[in-house]
Amino acid sequence: MSEPVVREAGHPPVTAQADTTSNPTPQPQNDAKNATSTPSKGKPKLSGVELKKLKQAEKQARRAAQKAAGEQLQGQQKTPPAKDGQKQVPKDDKSKPLPMRRRPSNPNVLVAKEPKKDTKKEPKHANLFFGHLYNQPRLHSVVGASKDVHPAVLALGLQYSSYIICGSTARMVSMLVAFKAVIEDYQTPVGTSLARHLTSHHLSPQIDYLRSCRPLSIGMGNAIRWLKDVIIKIDPSTPESEAKRELITDIDNFIRDRVIAADQLISDYAAKKIEPGDVILTYASSSIVESTLLRAHLDGISFSVIVVDSKPLFEGKRLARNLSQHGIKVRCFSYSGAAHAVKDASKVFLGAHAMMSNGRLYSRVGTASIANLANSNSIPVIVLCESVKFTERVALDSIVGNEVAPAEEILSERERQALLPLKVNGEEEAVTTTNDVWKRVEEAKNLQLQQVLYDVTPAEYINMVITEYGSLPPSSVPVVHRLSTNA
Amino acid sequence: MDVATPTAENPLPSFDIVSTYRRILASDPDLTMPVAAIEALVEALAHSSVSTIAETLQLLERHTNILKASTPNPISLSAGTDLFQRYMIATLNRPTSLGGSVHLGPSDDFRAIRNHLLSSGKLFVERAKASREKIASFGKHFIRDGATVLTNGGSRVVGALLRRAAESSTIRFRVIYVLSPSTSSDSREGHQTVADLRAHNVPVATIPDSAVAYSLGKVDMVIVGAEGVVENGGIISRLGTYQMGLLAKSKGKPFYVVAESHKFVRLYPLSQFDLPIDQKILDFTVSDDDKVSGEQKTSEDEGVADLNPEEARSKCSGKNVDDAVDFTPPDLISGIITESGVLTPSAVSEELIKIWF
Repeated sequence: MSEPVVREAGHPPVTAQADTTSNPTPQPQNDAKNATSTPSKGKPKLSGVELKKLKQAEKQARRAAQKAAGEQLQGQQKTPPAKDGQKQVPKDDKSKPLPMRRRPSNPNVLVAKEPKKDTKKEPKHANLFFGHLYNQPRLHSVVGASKDVHPAVLALGLQYSSYIICGSTARMVSMLVAFKAVIEDYQTPVGTSLARHLTSHHLSPQIDYLRSCRPLSIGMGNAIRWLKDVIIKIDPSTPESEAKRELITDIDNFIRDRVIAADQLISDYAAKKIEPGDVILTYASSSIVESTLLRAHLDGISFSVIVVDSKPLFEGKRLARNLSQHGIKVRCFSYSGAAHAVKDASKVFLGAHAMMSNGRLYSRVGTASIANLANSNSIPVIVLCESVKFTERVALDSIVGNEVAPAEEILSERERQALLPLKVNGEEEAVTTTNDVWKRVEEAKNLQLQQVLYDVTPAEYINMVITEYGSLPPSSVPVVHRLSTNA
Repeated sequence: MDVATPTAENPLPSFDIVSTYRRILASDPDLTMPVAAIEALVEALAHSSVSTIAETLQLLERHTNILKASTPNPISLSAGTDLFQRYMIATLNRPTSLGGSVHLGPSDDFRAIRNHLLSSGKLFVERAKASREKIASFGKHFIRDGATVLTNGGSRVVGALLRRAAESSTIRFRVIYVLSPSTSSDSREGHQTVADLRAHNVPVATIPDSAVAYSLGKVDMVIVGAEGVVENGGIISRLGTYQMGLLAKSKGKPFYVVAESHKFVRLYPLSQFDLPIDQKILDFTVSDDDKVSGEQKTSEDEGVADLNPEEARSKCSGKNVDDAVDFTPPDLISGIITESGVLTPSAVSEELIKIWF
C-alpha cells in the first residue's frame, strides 16, 4: 500500500492514523465483526450467496472504519456521512509516527496479536484466486511489536513495509546487517547458552516482526536458515563474546561471498554477453541488472537500454535515471508499450526475486509477460540471480505463492484526481477529494482492485540463468541450489 | 622449487605444442581434437621439467593458449584443454590439501606427483578413445529394426555407431546420408562411412543438403555427431545440422546427438552469432563485387576441422563454409548419447557443473 505514497508525496488517501480519542469505539466493533463472521462461517447451511453477502458486509464495515481513520489523520476530517454510521467511527489514535504510511494501524490498546488479525480479515472479498493471500500481515507501524524487537529491526521493518528498502537482495542484506546489531546487543541469560537461546528466543521475535511488516523474501528465508544453522553449530562452551564475534564475522563473510562477490562475478559474466550494438531490454529494476549494464558500459561496449516500467512501484524510473546519468542511452516504455519495446530489443535481462527448483522465475509482476513477448520474438531472455536466491520450492503458477499488496497503491493520486468528476449512479454530486474517490472504489460492490507483487515465468521462456557459478539453463537450478547449500 | 626452476625454463621454448598436436592428430585418424589436445598437453608436460604446481598450471595455460590461437575453430579443442586443466587442478590440489608435502617436501615428491599426472593423463586419453565404442554399443539400441536413419557429415562416432548396428544381425535399417559434394576431409570420411555401410549390406542413399526436407518423410530418426556440446545442452556441429534439427522437429522426428563427454564445453551460446569464433558465412555483396563465386558454396554442408588444421585455417579465414559450424539449440534435441549414458539436453549442464565444482 505504501509504495506510491513514498513516491507521490501528497497521497492523501486512505489510511493513516488520526489523533482522535475515539479508540474505544472501533474496537468493540472489530470484535463484534469478528465474532459475527466466525459463526457464520461455521454454519455449513449458509448458501454461497448468503455467505458472500455476509462477507461483503463485513468487508465494507471494516473498510469504512479504516477509511474514516485515514481521513482523520489527514486532519481533513471530512468523514463522509457514509454508510453505516457506526462503522466509520475512526478507530485510530496514534498518528505521529510515520505519517507516510497510511495503514490504519492498530490502536495501541490492542495487543500485539490483534492488529494482525485485523489486517488479515479486512480485504477478504469474494476474491476469486488470491483470497488465500490476504492473510499476510502488513504492518505499518511499530505499535504492537513485541518488546523484544531490536530498534534496528523495528526501523528496518518499517522500511520494508513502505518499500524504502525494496528488492529481495537489498532486503536480505539489510536484514543481515540489522541482525548483526541484534547479535551485538544480545546477552545470553543466565542458565542457558547462546547456541540454544539466541535463535528461538531472541532472533525469532525479530523475524516475526519483519514478517509482519512484509512477507519474507525467499532470499531472506535462505539467509535466516543459514544463520540459524550457524548459530546452532556454535559450541555451547564458547564464551559469549567470542561466539558473538564469530557470528558477526560469519554474517559479514556471508554477505561478502554470497552477495557482493557473487554480484561481481555475475555482472562479469553477464556483461560479456552484451555485444556492441545490442539493445538490452529490462523490466522494472534489479540491482544486479543495473550493475551489469554499468559494467558493460565501463568496458566500452556501446549498447542501448530499454527500460519497461509499470505502476505502481515505478522501479524502472530510478534505474533509467541512473543508467542515463552514466551516459548509457536509455529508452523508457510503460508496460503498455512492452510489445512495441520488445521488437526493438536484442536481449532481455531480468532480475529475480527467486529461482524455483523447476526452473521457473519468480519475479516482479509483469516479468512473465515480458519474457513471453521476448520468447515469441525469439529474443534471448537472460536471468541474473545470485544462488542465494535459489529455492528448493517449485512454483506452478503465480497464485499459490505470491504477495498481495494493498490495492490502494494501484490507483495513483493523479488517477484518483481524474476520477473526481465522475458521478456514480445514484450519487447526487461528484466527490470532492481523492480520498473519497478511493472510498467509492473500495465500496463498489462489483469492483475489486487487487494488486499482487510477483508472478512466475515459465522456464521455457528463459534461455539462460547467470549465477556466480556461471551460466546455466533454468533446468539446472536445482543442481546449483544443491551445490550452494551443501558447500 | 628455486633449484629446479632453471632447468624447467629451458625445455619450454624448444617444445612446439602446435606441431605436436598436429602430429598426434595426423598419426591417428580415429582421434578427435579434444583428445589430441589432451595428448599434446600430456606430452608437453612430459617434456618439461616443472617442479611446482604453479609452474605446471602455468605451463598448461601457456600451451593451451598457443594451441587455441593456432586453430581457427578452437571450440572443440578447448573442450579437451579445459577438461584437462580442470582435472589437473583437481588432482594437484588434492595432495596439497592432504599433507602439504608438495610445497614443503623435496622435489622428489613433486616428481612423483608429476608422474602420476602423466600416467593419469595417458589413462584419460585411452579412456576417451575407448568411449567411442561404448557409445556405439549404447546407441545401437536406438536404431530399431526396419528404421531409416538420417545422418550427415563425417562424424566418426556416428560412423562407429552405424557400423556397430550394421554388424548386429538383428537390426535391418536403411541410412540416408547427407553428403556435400565438396572434397573436404569431412566429406571424404562421409564417403568412407557410406562405402563401409554398403559393404555391411546396409542400404544407403546419399542426398545433398537441399534434399533433407524432401526425404524427411521417409526418415524415422536423425542421428548427428557434434563438435562440441555446450552448457545448455545444445550442440555445435557442422553447418547444416541446425536446419536438420529444425526440420526434424517440425516433422516430429527424434533427433539424437552422439558425442563423447569430453566434447562437453563450457560455452553458452544464445544464438548462431554468439559463438566465440568468427565465421564469415554471411557476406553481403553487390554485383560489382567479384566475390560472388565464393558465395556459391554457401549451401554446402561440411566441416570438421579435425584432420587437417592447416587446411582448415586457410579455409575458415576465407568465406568458405566447408569448416563452418552452427549451433543447434537444446529444444531441437531429443537426446545426447554419450559414453556415460543417454542424457537429455538439460542434463549436460548438470554434468558440466559436476566437473567444474
